[in-house]
Amino acid sequence: MDPQRPVDQVRRFSHEAMATIFEVHAWHPDARYAAQAAQAAFDLVDRLEHDLSRFRANSDITRVNHLAAGERTRVAPSTLECLVIARHLFHLTGGAFDVSLGTGLLSLACEVEDMTVGMTRTGVRVDLGGIGKGYAVDLMSGVLEEWGLTHVLVHGGFSSVLALSAPPGLDGWPLTFSHPGAPPRVLARLSVKQLALGASGLRKGDHIVDPRTGEPVRGRLAAWAAVPRPASADEGPRAGPRQRPTAITDALATACMLLSVDEIQGLCAQNPGLEAWIVANPDGGAIGNAQMLHFGR
Amino acid sequence: MAAENEHGKPPGGAGGPRKLDRREVLAGLSTVPALGLFGYAWQKQRHYQRARADAAVTPAATGDVQEINVALLGAGAQGQVLVDAMLRIPGLRFRAVCDVWAEYNLRRVVNSLTRFGHEPNGYEDYREMLDKESELDAVVIATPDFWHAQHTVDCLKAGKHVYCEKEMSNTLEGARRMVLAARETGKLLQIGHQRRSNPRYLHCYDKLLGEAKLLGRIVTVNGQWNRAVAPDLGAPSRYAIPEARLRHYGFKDMAQFRNWRWYRGLGGGPIVDLGSHQIDIYTWFLGANPSGVMASGGLLYHDPATHEWYDTVMAVYDYDTPAGPVKAYYQTQTTNGSQGYFENFMGDQGTLLISESEVNYAGQLYRDPNAPAWDRWIQEGYITAPRIQEARALEDGAVADVRESVSPDQHTVPVVLRDPYHQPHLQNFFDAVRGTGTLNCPPEVGYESAVSVLKVNDAIEAKSRLAFTADDFHV
Amino acid sequence: MNANTFPRGPMVAITVLRVLVGWHFLYEGIAKLSAPAWSAADYLRQSRGPFSGAFRWLASQPDLLANADLITMWGLTAVGLLLILGLFTRWASIAGIGFILLFYLCNPPFVGYFYSIPSEGSYLVVNKNLVELAALLVIFTVNSGRFAGLDRILGALVARRPPLAGVPS
Repeated sequence: MDPQRPVDQVRRFSHEAMATIFEVHAWHPDARYAAQAAQAAFDLVDRLEHDLSRFRANSDITRVNHLAAGERTRVAPSTLECLVIARHLFHLTGGAFDVSLGTGLLSLACEVEDMTVGMTRTGVRVDLGGIGKGYAVDLMSGVLEEWGLTHVLVHGGFSSVLALSAPPGLDGWPLTFSHPGAPPRVLARLSVKQLALGASGLRKGDHIVDPRTGEPVRGRLAAWAAVPRPASADEGPRAGPRQRPTAITDALATACMLLSVDEIQGLCAQNPGLEAWIVANPDGGAIGNAQMLHFGR
Repeated sequence: MAAENEHGKPPGGAGGPRKLDRREVLAGLSTVPALGLFGYAWQKQRHYQRARADAAVTPAATGDVQEINVALLGAGAQGQVLVDAMLRIPGLRFRAVCDVWAEYNLRRVVNSLTRFGHEPNGYEDYREMLDKESELDAVVIATPDFWHAQHTVDCLKAGKHVYCEKEMSNTLEGARRMVLAARETGKLLQIGHQRRSNPRYLHCYDKLLGEAKLLGRIVTVNGQWNRAVAPDLGAPSRYAIPEARLRHYGFKDMAQFRNWRWYRGLGGGPIVDLGSHQIDIYTWFLGANPSGVMASGGLLYHDPATHEWYDTVMAVYDYDTPAGPVKAYYQTQTTNGSQGYFENFMGDQGTLLISESEVNYAGQLYRDPNAPAWDRWIQEGYITAPRIQEARALEDGAVADVRESVSPDQHTVPVVLRDPYHQPHLQNFFDAVRGTGTLNCPPEVGYESAVSVLKVNDAIEAKSRLAFTADDFHV
Repeated sequence: MNANTFPRGPMVAITVLRVLVGWHFLYEGIAKLSAPAWSAADYLRQSRGPFSGAFRWLASQPDLLANADLITMWGLTAVGLLLILGLFTRWASIAGIGFILLFYLCNPPFVGYFYSIPSEGSYLVVNKNLVELAALLVIFTVNSGRFAGLDRILGALVARRPPLAGVPS
């Protein structure tokens, strides 16, 4: 290893949560301090998981999922914010991103005034799996900044990535996009900073169900979405979805697995700054032949 | 007669209802009793479903409640957990938050409460808070253990009801002062052993152990809390507390302030932080205080410069319960988190494996093959039907098919907590404040628990069995 | 076909069959009626197979769905009651066959259509729904209520009433 390369002075911290690995890559002179900062960020993920996981009997989301028509429950601000962003993305993608998987997201009433979630219909089931990791990464970056760590890259399960400032001496954090087939083949190399990235894809045996039709997705192997990180981070559920770029790209990457090429083009045109990449495989032919398409910017 | 009916009256005789052949009527009505049978079965089924539903539901708070003015004293990680639970309890009005870390924790909790429509005042000094906030009804205390006694006594004497986190105090002298202050002032004091209000634990205590006596004679108990290695807690450097203030509140530096649990004179180490919850359950479920304890422990892994208490503790308690003697083992260590935390009660008729977690060990029961059947308790909805282990047909003449051992049928406790872990215990406290309930963990109970737990550290030091007398548990 | 044309033994067996099928229908209906806010929506949404499009569409139409829910809950209950009592047996059998056919088509165990909910048995084309449907076919054709059921009393009353034209007064 060449000790002169700044990227080698980047410290990496890992933590298991939300059924995946979260990592903080941070450039900081004090290893111990950086570890404590990363731990504070990981503690936050654990708290979030406790509220957002539908696998915990006493999480906010489980309580929401058990609501009958006409009932309400109070949730943590982060849970509410996550649901509000999810609704926003439902509308933005014409229902292609649906945390209720077609069970009726619009029956969910989010009351920011008193932090409650109400249900107008029984039987709605919410699963924040497609947005929770990105949302967690967004909040983690807030903690790390509070601790004064700014040369940071945070990711949840490699699929939700947020880059802050690049390590000194580098233009950006070096990243790759790989072809989902086996063996993986690098399709693109990026150098990113102040950018949120989301990835979605099909590995062997996986499937993604289109919530609009209930049918499994065919003809799309992988998708990525990216948006720039906004300059100032406001706090709280009123802050608006833009302040949570990784939650957005997390969700949009999933949506880009389902949306048609025209729809993705439209989405990028309407939302300046949004970029998307897909690996399409329209005929279901040999996946090695699939090509990557780029939208936006 | 049949012929008469069968072939009818002459056409001219019509008019009025016809008489039917009895045999025909009987045949016609022959399947009606099936409806009665159905009705009976359905009633049974409804009773069973209702029992299960009742067991599973935490009683909901009623609509109109008298508003209680509360303050939080200690806005660290645990204080934030309590706030999180309290925000889901109707009828509370946060008036004040107090924390010496005004730059960070205090600001964060005040902001979070503001988001929920509260307008709490922030204080660094709890005395100033007690002076200025005259409308307070109750104070919830989540400060470091060595502050509990003074904070609690001062709040009680200021006429506030107090919910104080466990461990009640890091010294028995402090815990005793708290009991006496509660008695003197007549104010309520709830100690934060929150499992005492957890619906699953209450169900086990009242129904499974109390009424059904499913385990028979409990002879052994074992419990563990295993926690993975975590780095010491730090603090964002820009929000560090000035040294003078740290010293004023009894901390030598920021590192000690953040990691007080590991320091003698401030906390009690993992046996007190973690073990206290579970050893309290031993005593509660067994219906007796321990008569003796031996323990081994040490600082086996962590850095002695920043850790004074034992990171690993193994203790064995003796109990003389009304039903007979019991040995209860407890282990806590902080170098490996596998298997997490649980309590396991083992009787001659069954085993109860329980934990506070809604994810792991959420109440599993195993019946001894020779114990009386549990069918009645299944029908009452006290426990679930067992997950039957596979049965294999035997070859002709064989007594048993010799193979890998089959585990016994597993039942589960059908009670689920949908709320944050601390909510029922806080709810119980506020019910008591309103006069609609009685405390599940009054100071006398918290004191008994402190006596049992703090003795472990003494026993490790003494390297010998230490006995308890009945007087030890009495204030 | 007439109930009287069968010997007693088979008729008793078919009556037992009718009561059991009726019991099942009745409980299916009552369980749905007594469940808070039951809806067929979940079941419809999980539809698989060649007709899944229609069932999913139905699930997405709130007004239609509400009607379908009511018809299912009360229909099952009524069919169950009538089958147990042996009243209007033929109509009840036809209605029952209709219900079961819909359930069957919603999630048919055809080759390649795995059932998303773990089921308690192994089925290929034929499942218990289809067997129950066939049982109702038997009950329909022999009109079992005429042998043991209120239909018998009803039948006797109707048969015994003299033809209108023949009533002299």
